[in-house]
Amino acid sequence: MFGRGGNAGISAQQSQANLMMAEQEIEMVTDLFNRVSDSCLKKCIPDDYLEADLNKGESVCLDRCVSKFFEVNKKVGAKLQEISGQNQANANRSGGLF
Amino acid sequence: MDFSQFNEADSMRMQQLMERNQMRDFMRLYSNLVQRCFDSCVSDFTSKTMSSREEGCVSRCTDKFMKHAERVGQRFAEQNAAMMEEQSKQK
Repeated sequence: MFGRGGNAGISAQQSQANLMMAEQEIEMVTDLFNRVSDSCLKKCIPDDYLEADLNKGESVCLDRCVSKFFEVNKKVGAKLQEISGQNQANANRSGGLF
Repeated sequence: MDFSQFNEADSMRMQQLMERNQMRDFMRLYSNLVQRCFDSCVSDFTSKTMSSREEGCVSRCTDKFMKHAERVGQRFAEQNAAMMEEQSKQK
C-alpha cells in the first residue's frame, strides 16, 4: 500500500509493519521450539534417569520426533488454510471459524 | 535472522526483544528442569536431605536434559531452515 513506489527507502509505516512482523516471527519460532522440545522430551526420554547420556534409541527418537512435529505443523497449517478458504468462499454465512 | 532492513533504533529494539526472550526462556527451562527432575528422582520422604541415589539421579537428569535440548535445537534449526526456504519459494 504505502512506500511501495519502487523507491529505495521504505516509509515509516512500512518499516513499522516489518518490525512487528519480525517480532511476531521471533515469538512464533521461540514458542514452536519450546513446544517441540517439551513434546519430544515427554515422548522420547523415559524418566528413570539411569544414564546421563542420550542413548542411540533416544537420539533417533528425538530426530524423528522433531521432523514429525514439523510435518504435523505443516499439515495442520495447510488444512486450516483450506478451511478458511472455504469459509471465505461462502462469506455470506456469518459467524465462521475465522 | 536478517535485520539489515531495520534502522539502528529498530535493530536495537529487536536485540532487546531477543535478549528478553532468552532470559525468559532460560527461567522457563530452569523451572521446568527442576520440576521434571524432582518429580522423576525424588519420591522418598523418610529423610530431610537427598540421598546419594537421588543426587545421582538429579545429576543425570540435568545432563540428559541439556543433551536433549542441544539435539532438539540442532534438528529444529535444520527443519526450520527447510520450512523457511519452502515458504519463500511459494511466494
